[in-house]
Amino acid sequence: MVVALAVALVVVWAPEALACSVCFDANGERREAFLATTIFLTLTPLAFVFAVVWWLRRRARDLDVIPPAE
Amino acid sequence: MTTISSPMMPTDVRGGLHAPRVPPARRQLVSSAVLGMLIFIAVELMFFAGLISAFTIVKSSAVPGAWPPPGQPRLPLEVTGVNSLVLLASGALAWFAWRAFRSGAPAPRAARLQLGAAALGAAFVVVQSVEWTRLMGEGLTMRASTYGSFFYMIVGAHALHALAAIAALLWSWRRLTRGRLASSSFAAVLALWTFVVALWPVLYVLVYL
Repeated sequence: MVVALAVALVVVWAPEALACSVCFDANGERREAFLATTIFLTLTPLAFVFAVVWWLRRRARDLDVIPPAE
Repeated sequence: MTTISSPMMPTDVRGGLHAPRVPPARRQLVSSAVLGMLIFIAVELMFFAGLISAFTIVKSSAVPGAWPPPGQPRLPLEVTGVNSLVLLASGALAWFAWRAFRSGAPAPRAARLQLGAAALGAAFVVVQSVEWTRLMGEGLTMRASTYGSFFYMIVGAHALHALAAIAALLWSWRRLTRGRLASSSFAAVLALWTFVVALWPVLYVLVYL
């Protein structure tokens, strides 16, 4: 019981650890910039890969390489 | 019972021989030249994405009203705006050249369009360099401020890519005039030039506006 109470207190009272610039920055505009660039740098390569895959699939259809589904 | 097993002569588990299976004919989806160029473009895209991100964060970290820094010259919006249109026109000409090439139009027509694309691209770089010379004369240098460093780093990196792509355009033009340009090489050059042209409006909006 005491242990459970101690754990609960630690969990409730422990301060937040905002260790990176995306989590916290005193300058709100800069925090938004960090967040935006994180999203940008994450999505850009994915978008490129998806675009290439989409183009290749369309090209495969055009070349009639993919056999018709049975 | 012996079985004959060979990559060329597949057998079943009972050991019976079958006629060699002929693999279905494969067609190349994308040429090596285009694939290599796409990989190169992916790398360069992330290079510019990193620069853009760093610039965005540094810009947002500036004290309100201090970007561009006081005392530093303002960037030439109008001249560069018109110059951007020149670059976009160059990209359009390269695509027209590609369409002429693919449609089987006479080679000189595609070659003329390709040369026009290279000439407009070169005009873009020349106007940019004239503007940079003026800006440097007014005190905007790499060492003057973070603003200057980022400006020359981002726009200069784009100009270097433009120069390389213009060289590729001229190379393809020369091969076109001799009737020795492969379709895959043309497509690779077009992909590079399209990347350079499409990237510029993003950089213009971000850095100049």
